[in-house]
Amino acid sequence: MRKLGLVLLVLGLVATSALGLSACGGSSSGKEGGMLVGTYASFPSYLDPALSYEVEGWTAMYDTYLPLLTYAHANGGAGSKVVPALAESMPKISNGGKTYTLTLRKGLEYSDGTPVRASDFKSSIERMFKLNSAGSGFYEGIVGAEKFAETKAGGIPGIKTNDKTGRIEIDLAAPRGTFSNELAMLYAAVLPSGTPAKNMTNDPPPATGPYMITKVEAGRSWSYARNPHWAKSNSQISEVPSGHVDKIEIKVVSNDSTQVNEIERGKADWMQTPISADLYNKVKDRYEGTQFRVERPINFYLFWMNTERPPFDDLKVRQAVNYAIDPAALERIYAGSLVAMHQILPEGMPGHEPFNLYPHNMVKAKQLIEEANPSDRNVTVWTDNESPNDEAGAYYEGVLNELGFNAKLKTINGEGYYPLVGNESTPDLDTGWLAFYEDYPHPNDFLQLLFSGESIAPTSNTNFSRFDDPKVTAKIKQLDEEPLGAKQESEYAALDKEIMEQAPIAPYGTNTVSTFVSSAVNLDGVVFNPTFGQDLTSFEFK
Amino acid sequence: MASETNGEVTPAVAGSPWRLAWRRLRRNGVALAFLGLFGLIVVFCLAAPLWASEVAHTGPNKSHTLKKLHVGGEEREVVNREGKPIGPQWLEAGGRFFLGADGRLGRDEMVRLMYGGRTSLAIGFAAAALTTILGTLLGLLAGYYGGWSDTLISRVMDVIWAFPVTLLAISLGLALAVGGLQIGPLQLSGSSVWITILIIGGVYVPYMARPIRGEVLALREKEFVEAAEAQGAAPARIMLKELLPNLSSTIIVFFALNVANAMLLEALLSFLGVGVQPPNGSWGTMLSSGLDLLSSAPMLTYLPGTMILLTVLAVNVFADGLRDAFDPKSRLRIEAHSGLSAAESIEGIAP
Repeated sequence: MRKLGLVLLVLGLVATSALGLSACGGSSSGKEGGMLVGTYASFPSYLDPALSYEVEGWTAMYDTYLPLLTYAHANGGAGSKVVPALAESMPKISNGGKTYTLTLRKGLEYSDGTPVRASDFKSSIERMFKLNSAGSGFYEGIVGAEKFAETKAGGIPGIKTNDKTGRIEIDLAAPRGTFSNELAMLYAAVLPSGTPAKNMTNDPPPATGPYMITKVEAGRSWSYARNPHWAKSNSQISEVPSGHVDKIEIKVVSNDSTQVNEIERGKADWMQTPISADLYNKVKDRYEGTQFRVERPINFYLFWMNTERPPFDDLKVRQAVNYAIDPAALERIYAGSLVAMHQILPEGMPGHEPFNLYPHNMVKAKQLIEEANPSDRNVTVWTDNESPNDEAGAYYEGVLNELGFNAKLKTINGEGYYPLVGNESTPDLDTGWLAFYEDYPHPNDFLQLLFSGESIAPTSNTNFSRFDDPKVTAKIKQLDEEPLGAKQESEYAALDKEIMEQAPIAPYGTNTVSTFVSSAVNLDGVVFNPTFGQDLTSFEFK
Repeated sequence: MASETNGEVTPAVAGSPWRLAWRRLRRNGVALAFLGLFGLIVVFCLAAPLWASEVAHTGPNKSHTLKKLHVGGEEREVVNREGKPIGPQWLEAGGRFFLGADGRLGRDEMVRLMYGGRTSLAIGFAAAALTTILGTLLGLLAGYYGGWSDTLISRVMDVIWAFPVTLLAISLGLALAVGGLQIGPLQLSGSSVWITILIIGGVYVPYMARPIRGEVLALREKEFVEAAEAQGAAPARIMLKELLPNLSSTIIVFFALNVANAMLLEALLSFLGVGVQPPNGSWGTMLSSGLDLLSSAPMLTYLPGTMILLTVLAVNVFADGLRDAFDPKSRLRIEAHSGLSAAESIEGIAP
């Protein structure tokens, strides 16, 4: 009996540790050390945490520059959880949600041996404003930040720090339920106080994470090595793994078929670029489960309709479009990488509760158009020129023509697309294609930008439908001031449905991406964080 | 008059320069063969509406993503669940999807190839006509009047010439693709093919105007021009009645070469997304969209690419034959007047 008890105890321990590992997102069974060779399709716009606003840069710096808080290094929904990084614990929120107090962990060091100080957080946020970073908008709620953004002088009075105690106090002008998420963004990564307020892509600042960037050849490649001060001073951050490989080499290979080929031949171990539609199924069929895995980042694809001008100022017309869009056709256009969905909050986003108000029904769509009988049937459809989004735009144009509109497609270069359709002076902004990816896993990130009347702006507009319902705007604002909990999640779910009843957009799916690694890499161990992508600390060789 | 070659006496060749040119051209079998090929391509493209309505039963922009074909009791998806388009069906489906589908939208490749050819040819001819008319007019004015007219026209041409032709065309295409073009009553939307025609026609003007100007400079010193002036003929009459007929062979040869160059530039601009705008097809846009499926459906790239190659080759070889027929020495003459190498002035108008 005692033997049996021992066996059960051992089994229990094994099961517990296995569960613990899987909660962290991957199973570690490989060997430590070695050099990982990765490929990117293009060099990230920035390798400077204060400037990067794209997943390519975020993946590259997730394990290099740590903020006070970060996102759990885990797959799926678990990876959406905000956890402490340089801070000892999650912030203490007081003063009616307007004051966030955090304490820096003791003994932290940068990769050059300099101690990390609380005042570095303040200077890092100020540096971001000085750089006019695209991320500064997330921190304008800090008292004095808006003024600092204009003057770039005098500091931000809303951030008070004490280097002796490590205490950091942040005062907000108004409560902001998303602020912990924003503190976990890479923009808020802590850099040494003297870091110049210029793009440091070519001269990477010292790191706080397990890896540091050692060499950058702009446009071509960059390399990582283990941060020599991580093990000694920073590995107390148990929420951030120490990593398995010793070195990482990333090179730019613009052709994705060459990237795939290099992985197949073992010349590269991982490709960051999602595999193109043309190769997707071939690679999936051959390697799924062994070297290939489908990942679900939080995003949704949609067609927006300008609710301010005919014919889309008519609810029946917008509903008709929603009924007419056939997700089955779009799934084929996206070569199987798209998962059909007809709501705003996708799977993985807190507040997601599946529903579909508009199952595909062309008869009903035509009937609604007949009832609405719009006088203006000339419609311009905007889309970008990146495949298969351009084909989705062409499909949408065909659907509108089938509904009796005279739709004309306007295909715009991908890089200039968003500024163009976000500028109210652009003529004929009737309807168009859009892909929306999370900045952080919080429903407000989607709803505030896309559907709040306050987001309608003459330039850089994010409310592409120009949807302005005072009740919806007020609800978004109210929820934004509350910390996210079960009650708020169910209210966001209800708001999702309420907005879709007014159909300012026709959502059609959420796009998946892929993790594709060489046969030498332990695929099961690779963690895909929905916000940051593949976690470099999780790669290990078999 | 008779000529003697190797002791044989051949009868004198009589007739107008046009007849002489035609006789020379008839003897150039290669040029005529390529003219025939070009004729076949034109017929192929002109037959597009007939094929679309009578055989394929679909339009060039009609999407069939979820359509299924019934071939010999078998059901075939036009686009499968993995987004792969159906391959050539030849006549198995009664001519529908003869060359398969064009991509994940499931449009009929054959229909799009035919309609795309119409667009490419129309742009080629219209842009070449525009280049030829403007180039001839400006060359005549600059060469005949000289002085400040020549300086003004030549400097404007130099400014345009200073830009690499492809770069200039891409820049104009990008700038006009969104807002379109509005000059007085002329209003063109960004997706209009006329934008592409104007861009291509415009950027090549200096490459025609300068050699024409060179020829006019030489011709205006000839006795027949002096005689017309002595008789009190107005400058416009001299240009139209005396100079233009003497330039006709050069203009015809240039026009043919302009067609080939315009078609190539259209393909390039459309490939880069600043030429013909989707969903309208041209061989350039088809080449571009086919590239996305290069590994799974390479034919979608090869087909429009081959059509561009054959058409441009046919026009170029025929234009070469025309040049030889009109004046075998024209290469040297234009070179002398324009200060360009023969390759720049005749064979390769593009820089």
